[in-house]
Amino acid sequence: MESLTGWWDDFFWGSLIVVEVFLVSLVLMVLFGLLGSAAKLSNSKILQKIANGYTIIFRGTPEILVLLLFYFGSAITLTAIANIFDPSIKFIDINPFWAGSIAIGLVVGSYATETFRGAFLGVDPGQIEAARALGISNFKTFVYIRIPAMWRLALPPFGNHMLSLIKDTALISVIGLQETMFVAEQATANTGEPFVMYLMVGVIYLSFSTIITLSVMGFEKYGNKHLEVGK
Amino acid sequence: MNFDFSLIISSIPQLLEGLGLTLQLWFISGILGLLLAIALMLMRISGKWFLYAPAMIYIYIFRGTPILVQLFIIYHGLPQVEFIRESFLWVVLREPFGCGILALTLNTGAYVSEILRGGVNGVPKGLGEAGAALGLSKVQRFIYITTPLAVRLAIPAYSNDVISLMKSTALVSTITLLDMMGIARIIVSETYAPYEIFISLMIIYLVITWGTQKAFALFERRMSRHIIQ
Repeated sequence: MESLTGWWDDFFWGSLIVVEVFLVSLVLMVLFGLLGSAAKLSNSKILQKIANGYTIIFRGTPEILVLLLFYFGSAITLTAIANIFDPSIKFIDINPFWAGSIAIGLVVGSYATETFRGAFLGVDPGQIEAARALGISNFKTFVYIRIPAMWRLALPPFGNHMLSLIKDTALISVIGLQETMFVAEQATANTGEPFVMYLMVGVIYLSFSTIITLSVMGFEKYGNKHLEVGK
Repeated sequence: MNFDFSLIISSIPQLLEGLGLTLQLWFISGILGLLLAIALMLMRISGKWFLYAPAMIYIYIFRGTPILVQLFIIYHGLPQVEFIRESFLWVVLREPFGCGILALTLNTGAYVSEILRGGVNGVPKGLGEAGAALGLSKVQRFIYITTPLAVRLAIPAYSNDVISLMKSTALVSTITLLDMMGIARIIVSETYAPYEIFISLMIIYLVITWGTQKAFALFERRMSRHIIQ
């Protein structure tokens, strides 16, 4: 354990980056999930096809492949675009933070698409009809009736998606994001103690997933409060 | 930047040279992981605290940490520990292939054991009671009544996990192994054509995923052939 001395602050900043990536990709995951499920539930054949393609591709390929494709792909695309304006630019380095957050947001968003679709279908159609009979607009029906009813149904699988997100952040070290895995690598090079360093990373991730699991349990309890009265 | 379609086609044979390694990692750790999962599941439903407590802790740790971290602890970390270098485990851990198998097995075992437990818990209690009333022993009831029904219930979730194990094999490219992902990364560093190479690799992975889903769907249909619709 004494080999960790002097590395605590690095691990702390690394963990902070993990949290940042998690929050950014969480927002993206919800966004892609809602867009995907809306497309799948829409009447438009084209939108349905696009959403199906999205879920098939991103659920069927390894996360690390999507990540590398995004990172290297966006780097050469941006370089090519920049070259149109200024041919002297040799190479644009894309920020691994954004490439990584977008990539894992897209991957886990494809799983969330299916979760949200199932949850929207699980809302009692009678409630939607009742809203329509009362003359409530489509938008208000969505915000006040569909969303409050569906998030309770989506919560247990959504908790698993959040766990996937936090664990996928470890992959972003592969493209050079300075999060905990990266810190462990540097610390290993300095101290020659890989076992302790990577175990530390494991402990950090285990605490994060414990926090997520406990909060989801809390939310579930809160969301199903109204069901407990009858018991 | 120009997109070269011919490179997508021409890189596929090169990438497929790593298919053997990907499949080996997938099948070996899949089978070992299933055995581990069965053991963990039996420990969890045993009802004896000294069996289910260790299993629960194991599942909690391996499901709560990223597989990349587990892989790095095994590949970079364990060789540092003296008694492991002197034990029989060293034969496995000396090679990155052994480390990959070990990490994938330990990880998938934790996930699959929860799926199997879900299947076992999904079998209606009355069936077991009926078996008991007919004089079947506990072991007989588990083998002849619970297992066939639990397998059918667990297939859909299990197939997802088999696919996610296949996707996890791509991570061994980070410990110097040349599976399809590893080969792709080398080609990309040589040609600097990430779109073409990674898209052809995506196509290969999608074909494998699709085939696996179809195979499991057939298996599920066969297991459900006695159900009256």
